[in-house]
Amino acid sequence: MIERWALISGLKGDLDTYELIQKDLKKTPGNITLFVLGDMIGPEKNCNKLLHRLINPKSNDLQPWCIYGWWEEQILLESGYRGNQRAEALRINKGEEVVKSLINAVDKSFLDWIAALQFGFVELDCGLIHGSSKDVGDDLTLDTPPLTLLDRLTRLQVNRLFTARSTQQFHLELTEGILNSEVHDLTGNHKKEQKVPQKAVIGVGAGKNYTLYDVGTDNTQFVRAGYQSEKKKNGFGLHF
Amino acid sequence: MNQAVISCLHANLPAVEAVLKDIELQGITNITCLGDLVGYGPQPNEVIELIKEKKIATCQGCWDEDVVDGLDACDCSYPSQIAERRGHFAHQWTTEKLTKENKDFLANLPYSIRKDKCLFVHGSPNSQHEYLLPDMDAFAALERVENAKAEILFCGHTHQPYIRELANGSIAVKVKNSGSKDIQKKEMNLPMRRIVNAGSVGEPRHGGTKATYVVYNDITDDVKIREVEYDIELTCKAIINAGLPPIFAWRLKNGFEFAERAEDASHVCER
Ligand SMILES: [Zn+2]
Ligand SMILES: [Zn+2]
Repeated sequence: MIERWALISGLKGDLDTYELIQKDLKKTPGNITLFVLGDMIGPEKNCNKLLHRLINPKSNDLQPWCIYGWWEEQILLESGYRGNQRAEALRINKGEEVVKSLINAVDKSFLDWIAALQFGFVELDCGLIHGSSKDVGDDLTLDTPPLTLLDRLTRLQVNRLFTARSTQQFHLELTEGILNSEVHDLTGNHKKEQKVPQKAVIGVGAGKNYTLYDVGTDNTQFVRAGYQSEKKKNGFGLHF
Repeated sequence: MNQAVISCLHANLPAVEAVLKDIELQGITNITCLGDLVGYGPQPNEVIELIKEKKIATCQGCWDEDVVDGLDACDCSYPSQIAERRGHFAHQWTTEKLTKENKDFLANLPYSIRKDKCLFVHGSPNSQHEYLLPDMDAFAALERVENAKAEILFCGHTHQPYIRELANGSIAVKVKNSGSKDIQKKEMNLPMRRIVNAGSVGEPRHGGTKATYVVYNDITDDVKIREVEYDIELTCKAIINAGLPPIFAWRLKNGFEFAERAEDASHVCER
């Protein structure tokens, strides 16, 4: 059977969207693994029901594999899980009200579960992470300099990096790269030509927008939750 | 005009004095220091006071940071557990020996110094603890210089002096699955950039026993690695007398100690 990954992020407590995605995935052919790349929580909505569902999937749910995201990092900071640091960046940028809303949106009993989440997964030669291995808040987009993208791939030692922080959906392939390096040291001169093998960075989207990845063919499909059922005739594989 | 860049003095006063003398003999007055004034060596206060007296612009090294803030080096800094234990011992010894005034001096050193197109840092623009080794992935190395918006990046920390030129680079990208029918392709040329590692004055690890530093000519852009002899015996005796691990003296006397080399040259320190 075809192996597919479903990559979602940025639910921010939205259980309805999660249920819609679960429903979509039941109709999607293939052997599907569901990855949730962080931002399960946010300040806008009460997140307890979604968190409960992620931790205790219904019997017919696809098992979600979760990592933490930027909003999870903020609540962990603010709740004292990072030593003396607090969510100062959030406080300065969005104000005290948002910090309070975030704290109120998540029951304390979920904090240990959030704190135990992994920073990212490495599956095959792919890295799945909220931002990048440099930072959970690393905002990678189509406009990020390719040299920066290459650095983020190198840090994780992967050929494909799935990222969610920017909330955008994109699939950028680094098809070719070359760089001459000449090192002069006390032993003499050393020249080297370095080439990049094909690599890619994939933005998986957020909320209702998620990504299906076909592991065998390396193809992505950008999907909007509920869209497939609305347009049944067109079936699977619509590009959004 | 010629300027000198020194790094990793590591409390080795005879080596620092010899290098400053060598710089003076060339008529160079513009000196930048990339940190690690202390650690391993027996004269931390003396070296700091000399740098202060000569008013040498200095950025904070990994040892300078750790002595002030507590140990922050990730495991990658040490190739073995025994090396790590020795490092911790030297850290504690240095912390006890430093005067409050000199600790404050280290605490207030800047992370980086920028002069026109040159950026001076201890490890990398990301961290005092990141090693930019000469055989590091070329694209990752270029990224460090580019992201720091510099043309020449001066660093230390590896204790191995080198000049690395990264040139004639290009990256081609293709946007897949964009929804539009035409495949969007782009090819970009990468700028030429250089990384200059100043080596180490007080704890060389380049295979020889001489102190190393670099001289940069900001008009011709020429960089030269200098090797300077100093009274190693004097430092070795002071290490033993101070009760520091004798291996610190042994490796100064014999040059490179292979066991102390970071094992994975491609390791990118996340700190
Ligand atoms: Zn050093
Ligand atoms: Zn250092």
